[in-house]
Amino acid sequence: MLSFIARRVLAAVGTLFLSSILVFLAVQALPGDVATQVLGRDATPDAVAALREKLKLDQPAWERYADWMGGALHGDFGLSLVSGKAVGGEVGLYLGNSALIALVTVLFAVTGSLLLGILAGLYRDRWPDHLISTVSLVGMSVPEFVVATVLVLCFSIALPLFPAVVLYGPEASIGQLLPAVWLPALALAVVMAAYIIRMARTSVIDVMASEYVTTARLKGLSTWRVVTRHALPSALLPTLHVIALNVAWLAGGIAVVENVFNYPGIGKLMLSSVQNRDLPVIQAIALISAVVYVACNLAADLGAMALNPKLRTRGRTR
Amino acid sequence: MTATAAAIVSVDSLSVAYRSGGRDVPVVHDVSFDLRPGRTLALVGESGSGKSTVAATLLGHLRHGSRLTGGTVRVDGADVFALPARELRRLRGGTVALVGQNAGQALTPSMRIGRQIAEAGGDVPVVDLLAQVRLPRPAELARRYPHELSGGQQQRVALAMAIAARPKVLVLDEPTTGLDVVTQRGVLDLVGALRDELGLAAVLVSHDLGVVAHMADEVTVLRAGRIVEAAPTGRLFAASQDPYTKRLLASVPRLDDAGLAIVGEDGEREVRPRAVVAGDAPVAVSARDVTVDYGASRAVDGVSFEVRRGEVLALVGESGSGKSTLAWTLAGLRAPSGGTMTSESGDLARPARERPVSLRRRVQLVFQNADTSLNPRRSVGDAVRRPLRFFGTAGSRAEAAVRARKLMSDVRLDPALVSRLPAQLSGGQRQRIGIARALAGEPDVLIADEITTALDVSVQAEVLRLLDDLRRERRLACLFISHDLAVVRGIADRVVVLRHGVVVEEGPTEAVFASPGHPYTRLLMAAALEPEPASAPAPDAEPLVEEVPEWTDAAEPDDLWTDHGHGHRVRRWRPAAREGAS
Repeated sequence: MLSFIARRVLAAVGTLFLSSILVFLAVQALPGDVATQVLGRDATPDAVAALREKLKLDQPAWERYADWMGGALHGDFGLSLVSGKAVGGEVGLYLGNSALIALVTVLFAVTGSLLLGILAGLYRDRWPDHLISTVSLVGMSVPEFVVATVLVLCFSIALPLFPAVVLYGPEASIGQLLPAVWLPALALAVVMAAYIIRMARTSVIDVMASEYVTTARLKGLSTWRVVTRHALPSALLPTLHVIALNVAWLAGGIAVVENVFNYPGIGKLMLSSVQNRDLPVIQAIALISAVVYVACNLAADLGAMALNPKLRTRGRTR
Repeated sequence: MTATAAAIVSVDSLSVAYRSGGRDVPVVHDVSFDLRPGRTLALVGESGSGKSTVAATLLGHLRHGSRLTGGTVRVDGADVFALPARELRRLRGGTVALVGQNAGQALTPSMRIGRQIAEAGGDVPVVDLLAQVRLPRPAELARRYPHELSGGQQQRVALAMAIAARPKVLVLDEPTTGLDVVTQRGVLDLVGALRDELGLAAVLVSHDLGVVAHMADEVTVLRAGRIVEAAPTGRLFAASQDPYTKRLLASVPRLDDAGLAIVGEDGEREVRPRAVVAGDAPVAVSARDVTVDYGASRAVDGVSFEVRRGEVLALVGESGSGKSTLAWTLAGLRAPSGGTMTSESGDLARPARERPVSLRRRVQLVFQNADTSLNPRRSVGDAVRRPLRFFGTAGSRAEAAVRARKLMSDVRLDPALVSRLPAQLSGGQRQRIGIARALAGEPDVLIADEITTALDVSVQAEVLRLLDDLRRERRLACLFISHDLAVVRGIADRVVVLRHGVVVEEGPTEAVFASPGHPYTRLLMAAALEPEPASAPAPDAEPLVEEVPEWTDAAEPDDLWTDHGHGHRVRRWRPAAREGAS
């Protein structure tokens, strides 16, 4: 069991290492280097050379990579080309704001869609199932910015419950941001939920038709007990990875929604950095996305282990 | 039928139907029976007879989409289908308990054994229950998960779960079908002992007439949802009245058949003498000291045998004896780790993909489960045509189509079925397609891996007859793998008995069955259940161990065998000291 965990963690670290190289190389491969980006088209060759030296661009790529990685491990991602401030601190600020949305989204989307999916599975082919399946299918088919716009129309304009856009900067406190979190979170949740609901429904139906669930029923157990003790652990197993993929998808999906609501999160920072060609920031954000992906999948693997004794007891003799 | 006051189970004119395509399809029609405490009633029939459906109604359970269309089921005085939900739950487990066919799938994989048993209610501690079903180290076992147990152990756990709340009626739905003979015998003995100990009434669902003869007091024979005959066990087996019952009984292969039993429409039984293998028939396959390893464990250990053209050689043993591994290795699906395997047309030690096509088509495997080994989305004609084209035995598309129809009629199937999908055929028809597919390459050697295990007895008899016909017509060398000694007795010319990957006995079928030399062979034969009720009025579970001496292996590297003449030889063994039991 420990070796299984160790292997998974090692694989995760390895994946991160490879993706950091990819991120670094991708940024290197962009046309023109940072010095020309910063100084603009009219810069004199001397000025470019001076800046290149200052930014250590004259050193070989692997040395710069080692430098960058070494810094990144300590949270130092270099200086932003636009603001001149430390990238780490700036990204951290925006990341915190996004985490607030992500947390709310995951909490509601995952629990809500699991419940709906299980409900649909249990009421297979009856009206709750038809209703849930149809609505989730609609949610899946509509792009998130449309959902976001519709939500704004309904809940900030027609029925002014929540703010349509955020008027604060990245330094806003949680208290200031909290009212603005709900609509973006809901928009994201609607899109995410569809996949989780469908997966949960299918696996609940499969498991409820299994022999061991029938046996449990015929043991005279209550439906509640049959579902929670016998069916769910196995039914959640395939759903876990779908949840992980969807949570990881948030890392990108959040960008669009944040821009609709002008929310000062990582997605907004990413978009403006791309527009300003602020390469160190882009590099840092790309690496953080990779961390989110890897962490989500690692969590799903460990969760699967908790639900499936076959994975835990591997290697134990019969 | 009127319910006597003493009856604990009383089924009266029960009819069940399921809805399909907007119509009610009856699955059970007007079934009635009574069961008194302490008695065992067997529901017998082939697949589709509705026997499991009837049994499940005792627990008030109907499959998804099925419904009661008439009649009542009364258990311990209560009308099961009229009970409110809470009462029904109390009935399930409390008054009636079920032991299903496949314990491996009937136990929840994510829960520990102990908790699953405890959940079933009752006041008996889990450890005592596990001890009661004769499981070793019950305290430790209770903490295990189902996948950590063997099939026999899982079935014992299912039994413990069923008797936890001390029910009055036990419903046993094919309780030993997935188990091999020795394990089956052990579980049946246990069921019999528990039934007597706890004074249970039992309903036993089975297609295995040997099991029924051994366990039941009364038998009800079902066919297509209707009762064809109901009688006390002794009378049914001695003098059955209905032609269907007669045919069913006659289809069961016996340990003392001197050849393949051919069953007529009226249940007339005729034993066809074994085909004579010509003395000069060439050797089709020869294996020498074959060894196969799965990682660190050795599945097959130094096995040698020869099969001649037109001969059927049976590989016999329990699950885990290495017989299927050996078959797969011969077919080139696993690489041997030692020894040589040759056929008339080349070296068989190479995996299938490295064998030249001419060799590959000469050795063909027929799988145990025809339904999972055929592509469900391709027509069965396609399944037969593909190897024809692939092996080049048919030149053109048109020729392949003609040959495919010919092959289908060769395996006694209506060629009009070519365009059907596997799911649209019966189990026996699918297995014939499996055989036709294997014959498409015009093989010399056919490896049949438990090909009749999943089939009903009457269908099994037909498939066995087909195989026997084919080997006569085509002079096929056939390697027949089975754990069913009675089947082997009918079809095989020679027998090789495997235990833990080692050959313990081999020889001509007649010689081995007449005087089995090895205690393990005797154990297998003693465990096989014949469709004949025990002579004693109450079928006692005779303890198995006393029939077979304790033994240890006494084979020396240069002195492996005791020779009994005519190729019948037995691996050396000697009686063991008591504590050194194997």
